[in-house]
Amino acid sequence: MNEYDAIIIGGGSAGLAAAISLYNEGVKDILLLERDKELGGILNQCIHNGFGLKVFKEELTGPEYAERYKQEFLEKNIAYKTSTMVIKCSKDRVVEYANEEEGFVQIKGKAILLTTGCYERNAGAIALPGHRPSGVITAGAAQKYLNMDGYLVGKKVFILGSGDIGLIMARRMTLEGAEVLGVAEVMPYSGGLKRNIVQCLDDYNIPLYLSHTVTEIIGEEHIEQIVLQEVKDFVPLEGTKKVFDVDTLLLSIGLIPEQSLAEQVGIVLDKKTRGPIVDDSYQTSVDGYFACGNALHVHDLVDFVSKESSQAGKAVADFLKQNTKKSEAIPTIPKKGISYIVPQKIHLDHQNQALDLFFRVDNVYQNQDIVLTSNQKEIKRYKKRHLAPAEMEKIILPPALLKELQGDLELSVEVRDQ
Amino acid sequence: MYDVIIIGSGISGACIARECSKYQMKTLVLEKNTDVASETTLANSAIIHAGHDPKPGTLKAKFNLIGSRMYEQMSKDLDIPYWKSGGMVVATSEEEVNHIEMLYHRGLENGLKETELSILDQDQVRKMEANISDDVLKALYLPTTAITYPMEAAIANLENAMDNGVELKTGEEVIDLTKEEDHFIVKTNNHTLKARIVVNAAGLYAEHISNMLVPNYFTITPRRGEYLVLDKDVDLVSNVIYPVPSKKGKGILATPQYHGNVLLGPTSEFVNFSQAKTTTSDGLKDIKDHIKKSVKNIPYHKVIRTFAGSRPTPSTKDFIIEETNVEGFINVAGIESPGLSAAPAYAIYVVEELILKKYNFEQNKGFNPYRKKVHRMNELTIDEKNKLFQENKSYGEIICRCEQVTKGEIIDAIHRNAGAHTVVGVKHRTRAGAGRCQSGFCQSQVAKILSEELNVPLEEVKYQGEHSRIVKEKTKGEDSERI
Repeated sequence: MNEYDAIIIGGGSAGLAAAISLYNEGVKDILLLERDKELGGILNQCIHNGFGLKVFKEELTGPEYAERYKQEFLEKNIAYKTSTMVIKCSKDRVVEYANEEEGFVQIKGKAILLTTGCYERNAGAIALPGHRPSGVITAGAAQKYLNMDGYLVGKKVFILGSGDIGLIMARRMTLEGAEVLGVAEVMPYSGGLKRNIVQCLDDYNIPLYLSHTVTEIIGEEHIEQIVLQEVKDFVPLEGTKKVFDVDTLLLSIGLIPEQSLAEQVGIVLDKKTRGPIVDDSYQTSVDGYFACGNALHVHDLVDFVSKESSQAGKAVADFLKQNTKKSEAIPTIPKKGISYIVPQKIHLDHQNQALDLFFRVDNVYQNQDIVLTSNQKEIKRYKKRHLAPAEMEKIILPPALLKELQGDLELSVEVRDQ
Repeated sequence: MYDVIIIGSGISGACIARECSKYQMKTLVLEKNTDVASETTLANSAIIHAGHDPKPGTLKAKFNLIGSRMYEQMSKDLDIPYWKSGGMVVATSEEEVNHIEMLYHRGLENGLKETELSILDQDQVRKMEANISDDVLKALYLPTTAITYPMEAAIANLENAMDNGVELKTGEEVIDLTKEEDHFIVKTNNHTLKARIVVNAAGLYAEHISNMLVPNYFTITPRRGEYLVLDKDVDLVSNVIYPVPSKKGKGILATPQYHGNVLLGPTSEFVNFSQAKTTTSDGLKDIKDHIKKSVKNIPYHKVIRTFAGSRPTPSTKDFIIEETNVEGFINVAGIESPGLSAAPAYAIYVVEELILKKYNFEQNKGFNPYRKKVHRMNELTIDEKNKLFQENKSYGEIICRCEQVTKGEIIDAIHRNAGAHTVVGVKHRTRAGAGRCQSGFCQSQVAKILSEELNVPLEEVKYQGEHSRIVKEKTKGEDSERI
């Protein structure tokens, strides 16, 4: 059985950034496995622009952004395999993959990094009532048909969910000659980035129905109509039914970290993020298994995926060099107004460098503070003019601040009135 | 002229077709849908019931017991998924305890052996099922209860029947049926066919077919059952958990499936035909409300799909399996639960008792009872997988990540007899797309494989029915209609 220092599962934005970072830290015995024919992951089908503003300070398309990382990765001659699916992982870090060249192969890694990305929530997951015809498709799958394969899935489109992919597809399908009749969002606020609402809906006069959802799918073989209803507290309101004739219903109702492999290994997952629970070195509950990118928690900007994954690469290198922490980890606990925090636990004794805490809020808030407390003592306060669940927040904990957190401490973040 | 035309390719038509293929009968199966077995057989709990439930003396009781005892062997011969999960009917009140004791005696009366049923106390139940509701006092344990994969059970029977000479036509809806002197004229949307014997196994539409020759014989009403499907990683129950049955049927069950998911359902509601396969928010809520009584700790965020199917509930309250007063016209109707369990048994009855006692057919000496093995890669060891891979490289290409289905398995499913020619057909035969991402990643690849193997453009690849599709139009490339 071949052995590697590090096996990276997934060659999208997370896997590429982590591999480059590992290599730069001196870990060169790496194998990266990618299921698609090409490296780059979902970026390859995201042909719109808006990528790279944080990392490269310029606006790139998805494939352009991927290309920069691919070039850097390829220049380093890091070993990789495409069209290769990992199907099994074990606690002792044996990885089984399959491809059409070698068949089924087992290899072993000292460290394994899960950069498997995420998958789309679908009609089944939200128990959409009615028929189950063709023409009901997740926005990302429709995007793949259009941008990778050159096929339009339909011409009279309604979109359920205001996630970013749905918004992007509203514009994209309009430009391809489809009529997009509207976007429904069950929450009273959008699930996508503000800029996408403006550039993809407002600019094309596509209505956004907040506090609305699709309550019935009609059409035995192919979808013919949808019923749209206003909701209050997730309950459809009588007398608000609107019927739309459609040939397509796109679903953009959220993304879920792809963690089938983690489940095989018995890695503990966070009920909220649905990715693994990790410490500040991105290590999961199973020794030697690490996770970052959308496989850890769903990001709204790829730039953050790349940055996080570079850090994760460094952390894996530290692990391989046995520079691991020895102290007990303390939990980071989301309190009022916060839906999750990543990492879910942090070690305190290694901190010569700043630590990033990523989190999301559970509602839309204006002019509030993010409050950091430890052992019921307020440590720091961050003023925020606008907070929304669709926008991932980050606070940086500098070493000096981390030193204040001593002993058996609890870290919490709260939204509070000013 | 056919000897036998069977209308309907569900589990009934499929098992009867296979029995016919044991004799020198020129047999044709007609199916109105694009794919076989896509109504009641497709959407049910997949249980081979032990035989404790039907009223003694009914056809249901008789054929359930014989049929369920045939399944294990049939599954070996035809390579059909089969798993003896065991089952328990759980009682949550003194009244219900009385009821399971009645079922215990009924089971014995129906012919179950004493080793095949027992009453468990609360502790015994808990030891076997950690997530059983705290309200459960006792349970009737039925160790011979088993799970199959109904769609594949029907397909396997059809495929084997076809390997032995039976013909199948899909997309053929019977629109008229008349009797001439010694044969029937069967008119479909495409053909006019002749047959000496007609078997009506049209499921939900059996009343409609029967009325063409013998009006007002019985009625069939769709009785819809809705289900929730839990993800494979949810370890909820390992036995079929039945509540105490009510007038509406067996109640809301928790049923572990062969492939690892758990089904919650079915509801029971009489509906019109257009609503036979639709799910409703009320129905799904109903499941959650009722299942509480028998099972706890259900992680509803792990629901990956919902579906509905309808039982063909007859006015007679029992299976209708008989030759009508029109000679040679045989009804196999009203096949609701336990139809799946009973099918192999009544198929023999139809052929040996209803056909062969009146008509002479020689045995088919060349009959091969075995279906060509289906390679299910995710059930094999790595050495077994690599052996197949050496023979055919497409067994190394994983198409569906969630269910780990290879390209080789998909191509095989397309080219077998009674093979897949739609995306959903591939899913039902191989499980590609049946996992948690619900084909988000693999659908386009499955569609491309269908396009290549069937030699049709992607725009013409069907999702499910004739009027379903995957993509609307090509936007780029040489044969794009756009300039």
